[in-house]
Amino acid sequence: MKRDLVLVLVLAAAALALPFVGSEFAVSLALTCLMYASLSSSWALFCGSTGYLSLATAAFFGLGAYSGALVLGQLPWLLVIVIGAAVAAVTAIVMGAAVLHLRGTYFAVLTFGMTELIRHAVTYWEKRVTGTVGRVLVDVPERETVYFTVLALTLLAIVVAIVVRRSRFGLAMAGIGADEQRAQTLGVDTRLVKIGGFAISAGFAGAIGAAMSVRWTYIDPATVFSPFIAFQTVLIALIGGAATLWGPLIAAVVFSLLAETLRLQLPHLYMMSLGMLLIVCVLYLPGGLASLRWPGRAAP
Amino acid sequence: MSAGAWLELIASGLIAGGVYALVALGLNLQYGLMRILDIAHGEFLMLGAFVTWAAHSSFGISPLAMVPVSFLLLMIVGIALHRLIFRRLTRTSATLDVFEARGLMACFGLMFLVQNFAQLLWGGDLRGYDFLAEPVAIGGAQFAANKLLLIAMALLFSAALIVVLRTTLLGKGVRALLQSPTGAQLVGIDTRRLHPLMFGVGLGLSGVAGCLLSMTEAISPSMGEPYTVTALIVITLGGFGSMAGALVGGLALGVIEAIGMHLTSPSLKSLLSYGIFIAVLLWRPNGLFVRK
Amino acid sequence: MTSRRTLIRAVTALPAALGLPGIVRAQGAPVRVGYAIARTGPWTGGAQVSQEPNYLLWAEQQNAAGGLSVKGSRRQIELVSSDDRSEVETCVRTYEKLMGSDKVDLVLAPWGSNANFAVAPLANRFGYPFLAPTALSRRLVEMKLPYFFLMLQQPKPMMDALVDLLTANGAKTMAVVYVDDLFGLENYAALKVAVQGSGISIVEDKSYPLGVKDLAPVLRSIKDKAPDAFVGLTYPPDTILVSRQSKEIGFNPKFFYASVGTAFQLYRNVMQAGAEGVLGMGSWNTKTSAGAKAYFDAHVKKFGAQKEPDRWASGACWASLEILTNAVAKVGLDRKAIRDYVAGTEHSTILGKIRFVGSENVGTPGSVGQWQKGEFEVVWPKAIATAPLVPAKPGWV
Repeated sequence: MKRDLVLVLVLAAAALALPFVGSEFAVSLALTCLMYASLSSSWALFCGSTGYLSLATAAFFGLGAYSGALVLGQLPWLLVIVIGAAVAAVTAIVMGAAVLHLRGTYFAVLTFGMTELIRHAVTYWEKRVTGTVGRVLVDVPERETVYFTVLALTLLAIVVAIVVRRSRFGLAMAGIGADEQRAQTLGVDTRLVKIGGFAISAGFAGAIGAAMSVRWTYIDPATVFSPFIAFQTVLIALIGGAATLWGPLIAAVVFSLLAETLRLQLPHLYMMSLGMLLIVCVLYLPGGLASLRWPGRAAP
Repeated sequence: MSAGAWLELIASGLIAGGVYALVALGLNLQYGLMRILDIAHGEFLMLGAFVTWAAHSSFGISPLAMVPVSFLLLMIVGIALHRLIFRRLTRTSATLDVFEARGLMACFGLMFLVQNFAQLLWGGDLRGYDFLAEPVAIGGAQFAANKLLLIAMALLFSAALIVVLRTTLLGKGVRALLQSPTGAQLVGIDTRRLHPLMFGVGLGLSGVAGCLLSMTEAISPSMGEPYTVTALIVITLGGFGSMAGALVGGLALGVIEAIGMHLTSPSLKSLLSYGIFIAVLLWRPNGLFVRK
Repeated sequence: MTSRRTLIRAVTALPAALGLPGIVRAQGAPVRVGYAIARTGPWTGGAQVSQEPNYLLWAEQQNAAGGLSVKGSRRQIELVSSDDRSEVETCVRTYEKLMGSDKVDLVLAPWGSNANFAVAPLANRFGYPFLAPTALSRRLVEMKLPYFFLMLQQPKPMMDALVDLLTANGAKTMAVVYVDDLFGLENYAALKVAVQGSGISIVEDKSYPLGVKDLAPVLRSIKDKAPDAFVGLTYPPDTILVSRQSKEIGFNPKFFYASVGTAFQLYRNVMQAGAEGVLGMGSWNTKTSAGAKAYFDAHVKKFGAQKEPDRWASGACWASLEILTNAVAKVGLDRKAIRDYVAGTEHSTILGKIRFVGSENVGTPGSVGQWQKGEFEVVWPKAIATAPLVPAKPGWV
């Protein structure tokens, strides 16, 4: 644990220094890396250990972005982020309570369409209540603020991941992932644990959504609920090794950088290779790339 | 609204539902039989649509002729995919749950692969062509000829599948597997040949749906996903593994959506479908038609 | 005589030949013009019809003439462009790079309101004048960004023009469908304001989500109500959808209007003879001005007869490039000066006279176009009409 924390501190220091020494473009790039790092590690926190594949990250990201946009300008920045996280987490709790007692595949299927459902619900509510759709974000904070916020959220996600893995809660989740029925017989309240884990990962997605949305000035349901970010998060986490701590992180950085370089020339080739890589991993490396380095980790 | 208009509404719901049923049947075959939840199913529909469009615009081949071609093509793709991916997964997965989860992930990767492959090959532009778009009057209501063809073919293929499953030896083997995988194997039913074949048939049906849809809808690489979601909803309604359930469920969903859109607005269509989905999942997780 | 002429030619050519190296040296560094545009993803259809071809044509034309005139001296244009994949984030990052790190001389706008929303404040911050031909929203105007200029007519003038056309031609009832996003909602709101007191009543209004596949049920219930006019506040895919499905179910009102996409060549390709009489958002064609015809011909020459410019946004895009060209010719590459020039001058473009109040183009009036015999004519207002209105749509064929 200590080694992990030290490593995290070192990386944090480097990331902290970047805005002062790097170009605007480098900061943008780092922002993307950080975004995916926090999204995939918080996703892996729940889905990696319990084995419940959630494809709803876009829903939580979007909810965070939207609720953040609603209160931006009226509340201090930190509170905006917290509200984004809270709305997402509450939604996750409600959703989870409804369906987490069903099997893993039902859960995945449900989350798959969830983004569309929530997007339509938000659009409908907007039209009825406010008569318009989408928000123009006027009181946008400084770019550095956004960067440091996302950095802070990433660090928080990593720390939470480290702490949770070693806690009873984390072990319970891992137990659910290994054999849910056995965990239940051993006295684990699987339902509460699952809902809790789901809410935590949703909260992070919501917070990141709230933070990133200010970069787009105008958000509407179609942009913030785009499944692209969500799917890429899932792919990165799975390829990296969802059950590990460093797998998703390293994969996030590598793939964000890769995406950036390939983005301009061969964006589709990049996405295709992500898909291919996932299939290969599922076939030969169920623990993800991280299992190359840490072969002992349990595969989901 | 007049009675004639109501009939028209329900009929157009059935037409949409016919496609849902076709796609859902394929998905059901894969999940009911093999526990492979093919979340990439809609992408193969999209491939069927693109192949038909390409054949039609480059070589002038009639989409009707492409119906069996799409079926065969996608069936071959399905058999190949099963051999390459799922056979190994079956061997290396410790339990059925693990297999299901990994199958889901593999299909997720497939979804990415196929969709972006299509983007690479054909670009993001909307494509389309006109085929049999002339209106046909049936008893006061008007429908596009290709829409009628769509429902006719969808019902034909669905019926054919169900008949095959019920009457032929192959079909009986499949149904046996659906009922009890171990039992079926004990009786000597060869899953090694049946599984890839049925997986292929599932994808083939998806391809046919895509081919039929290409006549009536705009084609784009992202057209498949909504159908995947709808098919998932349908098989939940109809019950995992029940073919008749998928057929009835698909048609019913189409009608419900049409009526819902009329009473509210199209914006709420997916809200409605999803609401039904969640309700059924909570109330009858095994589907509405499966007797416990 | 001939030999003397030849001698004169040789003599006059000589200094040019001697001075050529000097001219070449004087050309200097190219003018770097940066932009991101959708080449993949959902925005591609619109971007590749209305926008990017114009950028490419412009650069080619200017370079063929020796380069862009920068206060008199000609410099070659170098386009620095990339695919924004129809993603706002990619767009933002690309423009950050172009303006922040690469420090290009000029930027051109991306496609669509969403992208422009995101990039406009950025351009403002970096001080790059930004002329957007495919952005439409009151909110953009309300942001009051001094460096941002919207070329298209906004919802109010467009809807006013439509309602004026309908009332002048005796329409009494109207059914509306509109897309569930800012474009649809703003136009719908403007439409409702415009029909107040006009004598037209709205008998049905339904909204639909982006990417809808089937509007036949809605159209059937509208057909049941038999309105005089059908107004679709739609995007290109939906424009085509409502047209095809109306034909399918036999819905044939006197006035059939679908907003975006009707002005595309694609519409005529898909609907063929059925396009006759359909109304939509359009503001120019080859008859509008000599410049318009020259532009149309050049566009078709470069990109082929299958890639005509569309009769709305393409024209606005070309007009924006005309304005930019004139600005640079007059004041050079000082971006603040360009901005002041654009804001303060009345520009002569292929669309007519354009001038800006704040971010909004108030020179081009709201207009309505109609397909007549294979050409999308401007039928309203009479001042810029290229053909009279055909007052009742013939049946779908």
